[in-house]
Amino acid sequence: MDITEQTPPTPKYWMSLEQWRQDPDFKKFAESEFRTSPMQEGDSEDGWARREFLKLMGASLALTSFGCVRRPAQKIIPYAKQPAHLVHGIADHYASSYVDGLEGFGVLITTRDGRPIKVEGNPDHPGHEGGMSARAHAHILRLYDPDRNTSAKRNLQNDKRTNRETIGIAWEKLDEEVSAQLKKGKVAVLTNTLMSPSTRKLVNEFTTGFSAKHYVYDDIGFESIIEGQQRAYGQASLPRLRVDRARYILSVNCDFLGTWLTPTTFQRQFAKGRKASAEMNKLVVVEPLMTLTGSNADERHRIRPSQTLDVLMALLHELLVVKKHSSYASNSGVLQAIAPFSKSKTDLAIPVAEIAQSLWNNRGQSLVLAGGLSAGTENSAAIQMALNLLNSVLENEGKTIEAGGAAVLGSAQAGAAGFNELLNALNKKEVTTLIIHGCNPMYSAPRTAKFVEALGNLEVIIYTGDRNDETGRLADYVATDHHSMENWGDLEAFGGVLSIQQPTIRPLHDTRAFQDGLLNWLRAAEKGSARVKNSATWYDYLRSNWQEEFYPANRGGKSFEEFWTDLLQKGVVQVSRSGGASRSLATASLSGVKSSARNSGFELALYSTVGLGDGQLANVSWLQEFPDPVSKICWDNYASFSLKDAKQLNLKEGQFVKLMVGESSLEVPAHIQPGQADGVIGLAVGYGREGAGEIAKGVGVNAFALSQWKGGERITAGLETKVTVLARNNTFACTQDHHSMEGRQIVVEETLKDHLKNPGGQVHRHKMTTMWAEHKYTGNKWGMVIDLNTCNGCGACVIACQSENNIPAVGKKYVISGREMHWIRVDRYYTGDPENPGVVNQPLPCMHCDNAPCETVCPVAATVHSDEGTNDMIYNRCVGTRYCANNCPYKVRRFNWFNYTQLKAPLNLALNPEVTQRFRGVMEKCTFCIHRIRDKKSNAKLLDQALKDGDVKTACQQSCPTQAITFGDVNNANSAVAKAYQQPQSYILLEELNTKPAVRYQVKVRNTAELKGGSPHHGDSHQKEGQHV
Amino acid sequence: MIRRNPLILGHKTYETITKDICGLVERMPGPSFFAGLAGAQFLLFIFLFAQGMIVWYGMGMMGVNHPVGWGTDIITFVFWIGIGHAGTLISAILFLFRQKWRTSIARSAEAMTVFAVMTAGLFPILHTGRPWLGYWLLPYPNQRGPLWVNFRSPLVWDVFAVSTYATVSAVFWYIGMVPDLATIRDRAQNKWRKRIYGALSLGWRGTARNWNHYETVYMLLCGLSTPLVLSVHSIVSFDFAVATLPGWHTTIFPPYFVAGAIFSGFAMVITLMAIIRELVPVFKDYITLDHMEAMNKIIMTTGLMVGYAYGSEFFIAWYSGVEYEKFIFLNRAFGPYGWSYWIMVTCNVVIPQLFWFRYFRRNIPWMFVISIFVNIGMWFERFVITVTSLHRDFLPSNWGMWIPTFYDFAALFGSFGLFFTLFLIYIRLLPAISIAEVKPVLGVGRDGGKHGHH
Repeated sequence: MDITEQTPPTPKYWMSLEQWRQDPDFKKFAESEFRTSPMQEGDSEDGWARREFLKLMGASLALTSFGCVRRPAQKIIPYAKQPAHLVHGIADHYASSYVDGLEGFGVLITTRDGRPIKVEGNPDHPGHEGGMSARAHAHILRLYDPDRNTSAKRNLQNDKRTNRETIGIAWEKLDEEVSAQLKKGKVAVLTNTLMSPSTRKLVNEFTTGFSAKHYVYDDIGFESIIEGQQRAYGQASLPRLRVDRARYILSVNCDFLGTWLTPTTFQRQFAKGRKASAEMNKLVVVEPLMTLTGSNADERHRIRPSQTLDVLMALLHELLVVKKHSSYASNSGVLQAIAPFSKSKTDLAIPVAEIAQSLWNNRGQSLVLAGGLSAGTENSAAIQMALNLLNSVLENEGKTIEAGGAAVLGSAQAGAAGFNELLNALNKKEVTTLIIHGCNPMYSAPRTAKFVEALGNLEVIIYTGDRNDETGRLADYVATDHHSMENWGDLEAFGGVLSIQQPTIRPLHDTRAFQDGLLNWLRAAEKGSARVKNSATWYDYLRSNWQEEFYPANRGGKSFEEFWTDLLQKGVVQVSRSGGASRSLATASLSGVKSSARNSGFELALYSTVGLGDGQLANVSWLQEFPDPVSKICWDNYASFSLKDAKQLNLKEGQFVKLMVGESSLEVPAHIQPGQADGVIGLAVGYGREGAGEIAKGVGVNAFALSQWKGGERITAGLETKVTVLARNNTFACTQDHHSMEGRQIVVEETLKDHLKNPGGQVHRHKMTTMWAEHKYTGNKWGMVIDLNTCNGCGACVIACQSENNIPAVGKKYVISGREMHWIRVDRYYTGDPENPGVVNQPLPCMHCDNAPCETVCPVAATVHSDEGTNDMIYNRCVGTRYCANNCPYKVRRFNWFNYTQLKAPLNLALNPEVTQRFRGVMEKCTFCIHRIRDKKSNAKLLDQALKDGDVKTACQQSCPTQAITFGDVNNANSAVAKAYQQPQSYILLEELNTKPAVRYQVKVRNTAELKGGSPHHGDSHQKEGQHV
Repeated sequence: MIRRNPLILGHKTYETITKDICGLVERMPGPSFFAGLAGAQFLLFIFLFAQGMIVWYGMGMMGVNHPVGWGTDIITFVFWIGIGHAGTLISAILFLFRQKWRTSIARSAEAMTVFAVMTAGLFPILHTGRPWLGYWLLPYPNQRGPLWVNFRSPLVWDVFAVSTYATVSAVFWYIGMVPDLATIRDRAQNKWRKRIYGALSLGWRGTARNWNHYETVYMLLCGLSTPLVLSVHSIVSFDFAVATLPGWHTTIFPPYFVAGAIFSGFAMVITLMAIIRELVPVFKDYITLDHMEAMNKIIMTTGLMVGYAYGSEFFIAWYSGVEYEKFIFLNRAFGPYGWSYWIMVTCNVVIPQLFWFRYFRRNIPWMFVISIFVNIGMWFERFVITVTSLHRDFLPSNWGMWIPTFYDFAALFGSFGLFFTLFLIYIRLLPAISIAEVKPVLGVGRDGGKHGHH
């Protein structure tokens, strides 16, 4: 280019020759805003250049955040701590509620960064007072159950409802279809006993709105008790039992400490009366199976299930006819009813007169209990009526049994009809649409009820379960409900005690509250009260119900906002209620009570287990691996036989038998159970679930299949059964293979008489000397005392520990090979005659020995002693020689045989971040909840306060319904544990080994004249020698 | 004077000895050797497979559980460590006692020791939950604090004992081989052979100075190894004796373990020598019935010692008055694992009594069978100690059973694969009988060479 040809003047200052030259390319370059462009050649052509992409991204981000308006805030307030901001890594505790069958718990849910990780008892709850059951702990795993439905489902049913295909369905579509169906009328709602007053109200509105009928069905029912109460007192409600006030408790075929109604509450109450003093209660159990209650009995007798009524009537006969006690002795109607039972006393191998006398001596302070699945004979209602009379004769009414309002069945539910009515309605084709909520009738209803056949008359079944289980797979729609931790709710555990259930996590899946469904359907049909119309969600409905229903009477000068906030924080409120008055018995109720026909063959008694209950939580691995408190078997149900029967049938443990009741039959492995009555077969329900999920699959058999439907009632006991012994065998996953203490001093028992004279007198103590300097503990020294007298062996501590410490379940195969991982276990020993033995329990965590045998033998110093007396395990130093486990005399150490850290999502969300997950090849054991100690210590330090006694609670201690575990600083002379250490009834397990454990036990006291095991043999020889070396 | 039987039969000369022994190394092995090697390697493959699976998936593959934390791995470890003892005893202690009959069997017995210790050494590492961290058992300066091992733990003593033993026996074995390696080097026809054996023989020239140094070192190593014979198994026994467990917590364990180790070691030597005699017939001249008989006498003696220990344990358990002790010993003999106890007693105490009779001491098939029984019995002795003590200890709630899995059997039998693979390779690569030591016992140039003049 020729320079002279340039027309514009050349710049004075120029950057480059191009500029000076006024090159057109440069001009273009200089005019652009930025000197370099990110645009690559050709970028603009495809329209997706980086800048465009970023622009789009920004826009879409803005759009998404704009489009996703948060739902209206539903504030939940943490208990105790009210954080201005959520602090990461600091746990919050939310008060909430949980219902298990009929037992309502006030719970505190520990959450971390918005996810619940543990359920603890709410100490403010007046029922269980902070005690927990194994199931209440374990229901958190149901929240994170990978087998839950993740959305609403439409099951593609054929005519016979046998097709198992299912598809997801949008909630709007489901509502549309359901609303269309509801318009046709003939609607029925089948629910379990609704313990939530607000839900009851809503269901009522729904049934009124659609002129539907409400039926109530519980998997483990208690209709007979209601019927008994209705006929005796004219109240269709449950009584409120005060076990704590009773000094003499007679349980006739009633496992009230294990599985009946509200066992955790009863355990708490029972333990209160169990403190070893002259006032200590006495428990007499008459039962066919060996239950948790029976294993805690001071005196235990065996009967067949069909004899339950006879026992009660024989006692009445003894009291009223023979001894002519009480005013009822002159009531001819009563005497007439009792008359046919004059021979019962001699038929029963029970000291009837003696028991009757004791009951009478303790009248007003005694309590007779009867009922439950194993008492569900044909005359189960008669049993309740006889029981009511007996308690009235003994003047217990209004004292140990409270009336009036001690009910879970509020008036709202009183109008509900039972399962039998539903069957009739179905058969008469009065129902075309059935909504099933909170129960699993296809699983638990007797086959002979022909419920499945009756369903053929239905057009649509809507089920609100969380999975396609037995009932779900027969339904047309599964309107998948929230887990209780994702949902609002309330609970009336028993009369006048209300608690709130607040969600602690946003729903994990596309699920919807049952109540929201009802609200939607009501609104779509433009039905229901103003409250329904004004409530956008179930939360609004619930809140407004509380505002109108419970707030006015309990305002206490607070505004509703304050009341509500307070409620959310505390979780529980006691509303005023009447009660405590004694009711008058309608003696006419007793007329027509007949003794049941004698079975010469085997009688079947179904029962529920402490671990699985009605089987709702069968897909929770912790519960499947929870050793039964009596048999110590997990991952199976079994037909239990008495020793004598097993011998007669030539049965071996684990051998399969075929049980036939009428037309129904089951093949189950047999278990030989010491203490079981002869001629009785026990079989646990809750097993054999179908469609419950991967874990429950193939575990056990459904015992409900043997239950019978007679006269509108489910018969679960006293069923005549044919037994065929099969050649097959099953190996049980039993966590304890040996059941005798071999005469060693392990659990020390004393009679109350001996104990009052010389507490701890039965303990053989060893005087230990040492050559070495002892450890010095200048600060805290942690210790624990376990009171074997109040411990009843329920095993809640085992699951509490499992939940707290991320302990894996290993499965049946590996429990059989001895690899269960529980950090605390409950050892159970039988004493005395195996036909009817005594039972003792002993929870065993790590003993945290001062002279720990494990510490010296670890080659890499992976387990060491802390200056606070704990024996610490350093997981990442452990190479896994297992020498420590071999050398531990208590064998509390657990080894990671495989890699247990890989959990199926979202189960991993239940992990406690405070506790390390342990890798394969590493030893682990109880840490005394060292993370809790650290947490409380650093808190105290931050507040510049001294740690108070009781600040630190271990998970097992916190969960224990009987408060048998005391934990604290032994160096603090005023601490509960230091005092308990000094009590004469405290002793050291395997003291002669000089391991100096930090865990001590207190002797078990039996309120009997003689111990079943006799006095321990241990130490007989030493006593002769005078001193042990 | 009674004339002693010559130690070497067949009127050997120096030349024939060299030829007999070196020939085995210089010939191409026949099909029977390869068949044997294939068999051993098949077992070795099973071993590797099993251990690979265990390391990959976890110790849960084996039968160990709660309460029996130690199983096949530890039993087999103690078994192999015990086997090793005969080698050192023969080569070191018998050398110091000038027992000339040791010369023909010393080399192979030492090889057996080295291979047995190698096999044994794998088990303590492989039985841990995290074998890849096995080096944490060694005390070495580190950046973890520094974090040291726990010197109070018998397992740490074990590490020292076994590693020392492995090192000393390997060095001893190798040093003893140097003159023979030089012989093979000198006879080598092939360049590579010459180079390899040349390197191995450390420049041995057979000078008087060489011999002087050699014999001094050999003597010193003998002195070093001798206490090891007693110490190693004593320390291995501490793994048990130091524990609190009834059945383990016993003061008799160190001597009892040493006697048992020698017992089992000699039985294994008999087994191996009986096989070698069959495989290499010319060795029958070197490993004579006299040798075998001498060893059988030792087996019988140590068998009696072991039997005494069994009885003594029972007596002490009763005499101590400790209920757990009493129970554990009754449980050993009459409990669910009683069969293993009676296998042990039969194999270790009853069957070796046959050696009171000269016929059995000098009959190869009989002694072979008896030696196998002793090996079985000694494995079961460790089984009895380990498993029956653990499976029922203080609290009956912990009682359980130990049931072996496929991997337990694979680890046990597979370890024989490792041992025999090494041993078979050794026989064809290294002089299986010490040439330099056998030649002096010929009596050439000595009065004794001519029979009848004494």
